[in-house]
Amino acid sequence: MSFNGYKNKIEEGDTVILYLTITQIYSVKAQSKIINKKGNEVVNVFQTPYGALKCGELVGKSFGTKISLSKGWGYVLQPTPELWTITLPHRTQIIYTPDISMIILQLELSPGSIVIESGTGSGSLSHALIRAVKPHGHLHTFEFHEGRSKMATEEFRNHGFSNYVTVRHRDVCEKGFSEELDGVADAVFLDLPHPWLAIPHAIKSLKSSGGRLCSFSPCIEQVQKSCLVLLKLGFQEIQTMEVLQTQLSVQQRNIPVINMDFLKSEKDGSEGEKKDREFLKTVVAIPPPSLPGHTGYLTIATLPPVWARSLQMSLNEVDMIDGEGEGD
Amino acid sequence: MDSGDNTIKIGDYVVVQRQGYTKLHKLKASSKLILGSFNIEMDNVIGEKYFDTFQMKNTPGNKRFYVLEKVEQVNSAKDSLNIEKSGQDNRNIPNNHAESQSLTKEDIDKLKDAELSSNNIVGQLINNSKTFSMKTEYSQEKYIKKKEKKYFEYVQIKKPSIRILVQMFYRQDPTKTLGIRVDDLSQILTYANIHSEGNHLLYDSGTSGLISAAITNAIGPNTTGQLIHTHPGNECQKNAFIAMQFPKEQSDRCINVNLYSVIRCFYQNRNTFVENNAETSEPEAKRQKVDENTKSASNIQKKTWQLDNEKACKILDQKVDSLIITAKEHPVNITKELLSFLKGNRNFVVFSLFKELHQDLYTYLKTRTDIINIRITNNFMRNYQVLPNRTHPEVNMTIAGYLLTGYKLDM
Repeated sequence: MSFNGYKNKIEEGDTVILYLTITQIYSVKAQSKIINKKGNEVVNVFQTPYGALKCGELVGKSFGTKISLSKGWGYVLQPTPELWTITLPHRTQIIYTPDISMIILQLELSPGSIVIESGTGSGSLSHALIRAVKPHGHLHTFEFHEGRSKMATEEFRNHGFSNYVTVRHRDVCEKGFSEELDGVADAVFLDLPHPWLAIPHAIKSLKSSGGRLCSFSPCIEQVQKSCLVLLKLGFQEIQTMEVLQTQLSVQQRNIPVINMDFLKSEKDGSEGEKKDREFLKTVVAIPPPSLPGHTGYLTIATLPPVWARSLQMSLNEVDMIDGEGEGD
Repeated sequence: MDSGDNTIKIGDYVVVQRQGYTKLHKLKASSKLILGSFNIEMDNVIGEKYFDTFQMKNTPGNKRFYVLEKVEQVNSAKDSLNIEKSGQDNRNIPNNHAESQSLTKEDIDKLKDAELSSNNIVGQLINNSKTFSMKTEYSQEKYIKKKEKKYFEYVQIKKPSIRILVQMFYRQDPTKTLGIRVDDLSQILTYANIHSEGNHLLYDSGTSGLISAAITNAIGPNTTGQLIHTHPGNECQKNAFIAMQFPKEQSDRCINVNLYSVIRCFYQNRNTFVENNAETSEPEAKRQKVDENTKSASNIQKKTWQLDNEKACKILDQKVDSLIITAKEHPVNITKELLSFLKGNRNFVVFSLFKELHQDLYTYLKTRTDIINIRITNNFMRNYQVLPNRTHPEVNMTIAGYLLTGYKLDM
């Protein structure tokens, strides 16, 4: 239950972020027993490079404090959607915080918004969506893989999010977002192999006063198909972008300095003395030697309210020149 | 935002959009708006709906002065133009652009003053162009779009949103919002864990109210979250905040205070905000003094800024749940001071346009034992033109600022 609201003490069953170093961050569950793969109940022990952690012992400790390990120490942090994104168990490819942040801002979400997401995947984005719309908003998330949709339901319940999210097992490209959601959504997010098939369904689910749509696609061909469908269906402000984050590492470096002044005058006999090499101490911020150069394209658009849609379609026509036939 | 009411009313802040260009405008009775080279009389949008489209119509006898007329149908230039011939490539097109168009600027101005109609003007430009028929189909389309944009006669009225405002401010003048780009803003809000609950502390030295508006928007209506917005001047900047037209209940939860005066109040005038029950246990003499103080203070009717300071100090005394700093000043002293108001087990974000300043801040924070997970990040963002057979990154791109994020331990 450790995701919903600020919390001081760790309770039984809480998800806890174990911070060892900036690159060694894990999530563990604060409970003494856990069911292993074979279905047997075993002691919940998490192995770290600094020794084993008996997770049951975390109960009663305060978030944000130091814990001792046999060969060192670590810190226990309350999870945020950002920490969860870097520590969650991957069931699929996930969306990371730079893209998530942009998605939330572009979808214009705020507390009270109704947002639809498809697919749920590993729930990385879902956690941030729920945080953005709670307490009176709601996330309706769709997943066509039954096992994943069940795991996500369980996870949201564990994290204390049940009141703010409904998980449905459904193929939205085929069946749409279900009739009960017709005309209720402020925003729709698509992360699907064929997003353009779901766009007509998204229109049905968005409010008659209009809304925002965002599609995340790794390949440019998906983007092209989606953009054409968006144009045809009367969306406006269609924009495609990518956001990549670089993390800089701050280091103190000793840079050798070469001095050539002594070459300009004749030898005075002091050359034989061994001089210390000269260094300049300086602080540098360096990007990593290699980093992700691509995650996915974000395609974002506005669906105008019903009274402005037919006009928008006629405005869009000019952008669709050669849209058909030649596109393939 | 109130999505139920979509009628445009006097007193509303509206965003006027013409093609990709947007401008913020406060609607008053018989107000005028200068949009690029157009001077527009805005009265006719009142009573219509948001997202409606209006045509700019010339007023007789008054050049460059336009009235708006609501339209239900528009004709795109591409439909009304009949393009018969296109070339294969540009091998036969002379490089001298000046000579290819036989209409002069005066001729075009005359057309524009007679009737602003992009279809008509673009048609005339094409008819008088010696090279248009030699251009390839794609190049013709690009030409039409470019010219249509220049003489486009339609505008649309929209409600302001954080997304629209951040992009508009950045395009108009990035220095007015400290160079905060849409991706910077989006990440400031997520890394600081801003949501409907908790008390949030912001120091902002000039983003036209964008950050306080964005945080207040993320706190949302009818929730418990509060924001203390500290600023360096007498008055805080609040263009964006006012434009968002939050309900009173929501905007009241953003407390605007001067940084120096609130810190002074916190350390020097504790009696003004610390709960009375704590004082009753104090010695009699001191209590009397306190009583006198409060008496004289209530006699002299406290000013709004004093009340705001006390309200903010009360929250600071309990400590806050997130800290955001978007400063043009050097961040070390500000962060050092304001971190003392941040609870443990909480996150903070500092924005700066220069990574060198963050290097200094990083070096300082590393000397503290209560700060972990310190990261300095920078974004690469680019937009794409997506068109059949002509998809590529947009020609122009911009450079973002740097974020420093961190976590404060509970010690």
